[in-house]
Amino acid sequence: MRIAFAGNPNSGKTTMYNALTGRSEKVGNWAGVTVGRKESPIKEAFTKGKEVIAVDLPGAYSMSPFTPEESITSEFVRDEHPDAIINIVDATNLSRSLFFTTQLLELGIPVVVALNKSDISDKEQTKIDVDKLSQKLNCPVVKTVSTAEKNNGLDKVVEKAVSLAGTAQTAPYVQADIDLKDKAAVDREDRKRFDFVNGIVKDVEVREVLSSETQQSDKVDSVLTNPVIGILIFAAVMYGVFWISQAWAGPGIADWLVGWIETFQEWVAGQLENSPAIVSAIVADGIVGGVGAVVGFLPLVMIMYFLLALLEDCGYMARVSAVMDPIFKRVGLSGKAIIPIIIGTGCGIPAIMACRTIRDDRERRASAMLTTFIPCGAKIPVIALFAGAFFAGAGWVSTVAYFLGIVLIFLGALLIKAITGYKYRKSFFIIELPMWKVPSLKRAFLSMMERAKAYIIKAATIILICNCVVQVMQSFNWQFQVVEEGMEDTSILASIASPFAILLIPLGFGAWQLAAAAVTGFIAKENVVGTLAVVYGLTNFIDVDELEMTGDGNVVAATMGLTSVAALAYLFFNLYTPPCFAAIGAMNSEMKSKAWLWSAIGLQLATGYTVAFLVYQIGTLITEGHLGTGFLPGLIAIIVIALIIVAIARRVRAHFDQQYSLHENAKAAA
Amino acid sequence: MLNKVRDMTLLEGNVGETYTVKGINTSDEDMNAFLFRLGCYSGEPITLMSKKKKNCIVVIKDSRYSMDNVLAEAIAI
Repeated sequence: MRIAFAGNPNSGKTTMYNALTGRSEKVGNWAGVTVGRKESPIKEAFTKGKEVIAVDLPGAYSMSPFTPEESITSEFVRDEHPDAIINIVDATNLSRSLFFTTQLLELGIPVVVALNKSDISDKEQTKIDVDKLSQKLNCPVVKTVSTAEKNNGLDKVVEKAVSLAGTAQTAPYVQADIDLKDKAAVDREDRKRFDFVNGIVKDVEVREVLSSETQQSDKVDSVLTNPVIGILIFAAVMYGVFWISQAWAGPGIADWLVGWIETFQEWVAGQLENSPAIVSAIVADGIVGGVGAVVGFLPLVMIMYFLLALLEDCGYMARVSAVMDPIFKRVGLSGKAIIPIIIGTGCGIPAIMACRTIRDDRERRASAMLTTFIPCGAKIPVIALFAGAFFAGAGWVSTVAYFLGIVLIFLGALLIKAITGYKYRKSFFIIELPMWKVPSLKRAFLSMMERAKAYIIKAATIILICNCVVQVMQSFNWQFQVVEEGMEDTSILASIASPFAILLIPLGFGAWQLAAAAVTGFIAKENVVGTLAVVYGLTNFIDVDELEMTGDGNVVAATMGLTSVAALAYLFFNLYTPPCFAAIGAMNSEMKSKAWLWSAIGLQLATGYTVAFLVYQIGTLITEGHLGTGFLPGLIAIIVIALIIVAIARRVRAHFDQQYSLHENAKAAA
Repeated sequence: MLNKVRDMTLLEGNVGETYTVKGINTSDEDMNAFLFRLGCYSGEPITLMSKKKKNCIVVIKDSRYSMDNVLAEAIAI
């Protein structure tokens, strides 16, 4: 038996779904967190042993979809015949929600209304006559509080839905038989439906506090959406998130963790003392060292996730969208693009998926294309490594990395706007400001643990395998003989990575080891750290103090043989080239266009290359008074890139101008 | 639903006041339909909660929304 969860955005569908199934799908206090369909069996305690599958769907205001995620909902309830529907209705907003409810009731599938967030409506002293509402809608109505552990009404909702499955309900309102292609007729019918809903609300709801009265929260909102103060507050909030996770609490815990990993590595090396050198190299350096180097950064990522979860839960995201919209609009994006960007500081994949709520095709694709310029959680180890090894752990490296990410998003958006001829199109912006809510520490903790689990699994699988492969490839030459000391350049890895390294000479880091690390980074960005650990035989990347104790200066920096400027260029190259393959896959499914996908990958490659080139060449010019190696070939490469972009722009625009003029002609003819 | 008579737009409204929507002045059908679904159409009340240079906050039905002034200007009151 399948039960679908449908309702308006931000009514709490996923919170209820999580409570019933024990899953931990992403929730957040803004409209449009869920963008895809999720299925899982409901816990047997709720179903009395019956097998019932819950289907969580994205929020929708009506059966006629507007955004790609809304059509998932209407298509599912219409075409896939769930056995029952639990319609989650936000009790604080009956007057809007019941429009969709009456549409669901017409489908011939039994509906149970869950009057969710009833704790909030009680607090607002809004009285809803549940029995009367149930009578008027001709379907069961149950008060629920999905966020509560006990007396939350969830068992009752499930019980009703299960018992009704397969039965028939009579719809309280049936749309007249009209021609659905006739816009005016549909409009008239929809008005009638709203009138019907208004009638019900008038009868069942008594409000003590009118929603149009100014509340304390309205004053807060007014400040947060102020174009100057609001943006400063946003900058301060994000700075706080990064500072706490990457400078204050994170590194301390990471230090401690790295200590344990090193002890373990020494112990393993000791156990392998009598085994062949190659075995010891693979196990102690490749597996434990490489994976350990990545796991050491886990605390930074965990704290980051904890803080992001708090931010997502309280209702701030919608306010940020509103305050950022005017700025984003200038570069041809929607204010909603800030949500993927914030999510993207955690992971690029959900960030790209979050773009689905952006209505305009061009804006949505451009957002999906650009959002990964913001460094994700997997890039934190890379940033921390370079900040620690080359810049004495300076906080500015991380700040610059994020700030430059945002600048690149803006520049990229301007470029896309120029190429796609944005001037012809109009777009409008509206976002619901949900009620503020005290963020749940429990949820934030769960989100953090979930991430930690995923991170460790990734380290123990993909990264482990990559490190082993890298270790083997650099230990053997093509004749499968062990590479001797001093002959490292003959290894399989060196000979494969060297051609790539040549391309990187103008960027200041033409060593095959660095090229290999950058390439493995496409599998997972943490691999950059893992591979560097393996190819240079280093593990302790984070504890700068200890590194300083081991010799005069910095071991990591000395081993890599990079200047600080080249190191910064290499870091930026890894941050702003295309994301990992998984994120590229997400981009592919969101863009639904090969042309956009390849443009995205091309733009990201070009950006990473150009940024690294500029940082290295200009930086070298400033610090050493002359240009770096390979300036001319690099410059030629960048000119070629620019010419390609211009060519694409001309093609797209010619096509677009033509289309637009055809459109105009057609209009004139009509 | 182009209104020939020049009504006041929501953008010209006073903060804190509730108005009745007279119509949506737009040739963009999407905009019209989108606002409709939220309950913003002729005959329904709308309250202006705050007004900024580029955007404003309104109450439609029982929810608060932030909208850009392109939209606010299209709402005739």
